[in-house]
Amino acid sequence: MIYDTIIAGSGAAGLSAAIYAGRYLMKTLVVRGNFGGETATAGQIWNYPGAPGADGYDLMKSFEKQAKDSGAEIINGKVTGAKNNSGCFDVEVGPKTYHAKTLIFAQGAERRHLGLAREEELTAKGVHYCVTCDGPLYTGKTVAMVGGGDASVKGILDLAKYVDKLYFIVRADKLTRPEPVNLEELDKLGDKVITLYSTEVKELVGEGKLEKVILSREFDGSRELVIDGLFVEIGAKPDVFVPTSLGVALDKIGYINVDNLMQTNVPGVYAAGDTVNHFGPFKQTITAAALGAVAATSAYNYYKKHGNLCQTHWKVTSQ
Amino acid sequence: MENKKVKIYSTPTCVWCRATKDFLTEHNVPFEDINVASDAVAREYMFKRTGQMGVPVIEIGNDIIIGFNEERISELLGIS
Repeated sequence: MIYDTIIAGSGAAGLSAAIYAGRYLMKTLVVRGNFGGETATAGQIWNYPGAPGADGYDLMKSFEKQAKDSGAEIINGKVTGAKNNSGCFDVEVGPKTYHAKTLIFAQGAERRHLGLAREEELTAKGVHYCVTCDGPLYTGKTVAMVGGGDASVKGILDLAKYVDKLYFIVRADKLTRPEPVNLEELDKLGDKVITLYSTEVKELVGEGKLEKVILSREFDGSRELVIDGLFVEIGAKPDVFVPTSLGVALDKIGYINVDNLMQTNVPGVYAAGDTVNHFGPFKQTITAAALGAVAATSAYNYYKKHGNLCQTHWKVTSQ
Repeated sequence: MENKKVKIYSTPTCVWCRATKDFLTEHNVPFEDINVASDAVAREYMFKRTGQMGVPVIEIGNDIIIGFNEERISELLGIS
């Protein structure tokens, strides 16, 4: 069986691509990876048109249902390898291999870590990367958030529902990136949130679980900040291991390099969502969904022109 | 499918908790959902049992799974 397209990833980009590919009557396989991508963990979303206040997870479930209804097949697992086999692509999902005429990489990005000693050891033991997942565990406690972008401010707004006190640790000397509406909400939290500008976390301290952090500069007469939990929202790093093994070129900051039609340098291979930097740091559900739609359309146009190459090759080699 | 008691230690907003519960529901597996955001005793139990504060934690019989791991859940419950 040869799929017309295989889509790696089931966030807004991957599922949007699947909806379009399905409606182009392409035989489409979606390899889920982390279901729902960043949208699923975003909590409430207020800027996705037509669905004000939608829960991110529910929105992605709805995308997934629409993709299935459009004819896409969706499997669990992660794309672990891919080979260009003379006009066909062999795609590995764990021990299984699937075949496709085109590929769309939409596997998103992984949360960036601080890169500190003991960070891995203390992950989920006071150090966390997902407010919607673990924030409620800190009900009545004191926590800190490391960040500066919109996601970190949204994270603070969520955390504030549970915790008693919050420190917002920001490397820059002011907040310029968050959406104004979220900054307004942040201001409303008043003294509950203390923002430490021009400050970084230098060290994580604790036995068995995080007990305090060492800051790059003094706050309240000390570089030690005693907290129950530390949340980290400092952006994400694109997942490009499989595409690069296939010869896909990256841009200078490590995202998959695509043209305006989401075409990579490898014919038949497309990318969308947070693995590309098409809209720069503006990474939203709506932009990911749009890029997925473009990628699927480009894959369809390629498949119409060149899809028979793979079919021919497959017939010859499987005889 | 094996008939083991299943408990999920979760928080209401945790996406992987919801994915776990959806997965069990899709496979007709009954489970007890314990909200560790509001139940401090259960939260303490979870931390002592797993040594960590991440959710979901899934207890299947005497086995513990940290995080949504479909393969391991399926293996322990005999879901094909």
